[in-house]
Amino acid sequence: MIIIAPYAQQLRTNKENPKNYPYWKELIAMIDEPIIQVGIEGEKQLVDDFRKNRSMEELSSLIQTCRTWISVDSFFQHLAWDQNKKGVVLWGPSDPIIFGHPENINLLKDRSHLVKNQFLWWEATEHQNERFVKPHIVLEYLKE
Amino acid sequence: MDKVLCSVATRGRYFTTLPLVLNAIINQTKLPDKLIIFDDNDDFQDMRKEMIYQYFFQMLDIKGIPWEWRVAEKKGQHHIHQHANLAGYDWVWRVDDDAVPEPNALYNLFRWTNTNVGAVGGSILTPPYMPDTSQVTGTIDNINSEPNIQWGFIKRKKEVEHLHCSFLYRAGVHDYNLGLSRVAHREETLFTYGLYQKGYKILVVPDAVTWHMKNPQGGIRAETNADLYARDERIFNNTLACRNNTVVVLNCGRGDHIVFKHILPLIKNPIVFSCYPDIIPGNTIAEAINFFGDLDQWNIYKKMDHWKWKDSLDSAFRKLYL
Repeated sequence: MIIIAPYAQQLRTNKENPKNYPYWKELIAMIDEPIIQVGIEGEKQLVDDFRKNRSMEELSSLIQTCRTWISVDSFFQHLAWDQNKKGVVLWGPSDPIIFGHPENINLLKDRSHLVKNQFLWWEATEHQNERFVKPHIVLEYLKE
Repeated sequence: MDKVLCSVATRGRYFTTLPLVLNAIINQTKLPDKLIIFDDNDDFQDMRKEMIYQYFFQMLDIKGIPWEWRVAEKKGQHHIHQHANLAGYDWVWRVDDDAVPEPNALYNLFRWTNTNVGAVGGSILTPPYMPDTSQVTGTIDNINSEPNIQWGFIKRKKEVEHLHCSFLYRAGVHDYNLGLSRVAHREETLFTYGLYQKGYKILVVPDAVTWHMKNPQGGIRAETNADLYARDERIFNNTLACRNNTVVVLNCGRGDHIVFKHILPLIKNPIVFSCYPDIIPGNTIAEAINFFGDLDQWNIYKKMDHWKWKDSLDSAFRKLYL
């Protein structure tokens, strides 16, 4: 079983968070394995099994039962790292050297797509699909 | 050679003590690398029209001292000092607009600087008040029970825990508390004690005399609202109450809390204020604001921005707290 955590925190402006991966639908279609989505109420459901608003303890237990996980740059990648469970993080405008963990597979398309100032509110950054790696690249790493 | 910024915060003293202060700065035996005058007056006046200031500006140019007259935000002198603190210099010599340094003051402050020193102060004399300071400890515990050691002649170098009024300090390593009111009561005590708590030596040294021509008119603390003083005093007392703790304020995201969880066990005697008690138990952020007034000195994102950080979040937390 694979856990996916598809969305970063909702922005105060309701704009799409620029850290959100744009190709989930295509990626999920390529994965031949049970998938559980985790997130919060209001987020778009991508698979049948969507577990919303789970506590830290519940998420930690769930992480222990999965083969691996895929997440954007959100709190989930930190929680899974805290649980010593290796997974795949899909990076866009934020810098995996600063906000990531080397124990994970950090997929960044190109450092030229990182925003210059990593420490401002994400409301100031536009979402751009071209910042992210394509699904077939993710799939290669998912087999590891 | 380390670069020194001279910072003067002024209000209501265009035509009284400020010209004396500027003249004294221009005639230092060691000149600062830049002078910034932060003008906090309610009614700004262009001093380029005034003859005596025209001479000052020409003297600065002739002596090769870059200078700037900057209109301040009218939020109080602590905001001004924080701008100076983050201006990119190694040291800041803060000079009050009614504190006239003798010509060798900066030279004799600067010569005591080294990598272990956080701030250096000299005598700040306010005639006719000349208390006997020979037995003064300069410790924070005695702040309410003894005169300030800088109020008398300093005969030999001494390590203390706080300074007041005008002094030379290491820039960019500790923040001014911007939660204080416009009065900024105790701002320099909190600031220099903060440097001390970070492990830097705070020194008072001889032969660096400043004459404090205390003027009831004008001044950067020209406020009479007793509530503001009381509020600042409360923040000061709360800060002192935590002096044997490492204050941890996590006003940041859930993921940041998870990363910090791995650093917390390394922190000596922490007192924690947290957004996510399910990850890191502690007092609330509202309590932290009420307690300390301002939380910027613990804002890990502002710190990383200021440090132009390229390393991991984990390392940034370590730099801030360990």
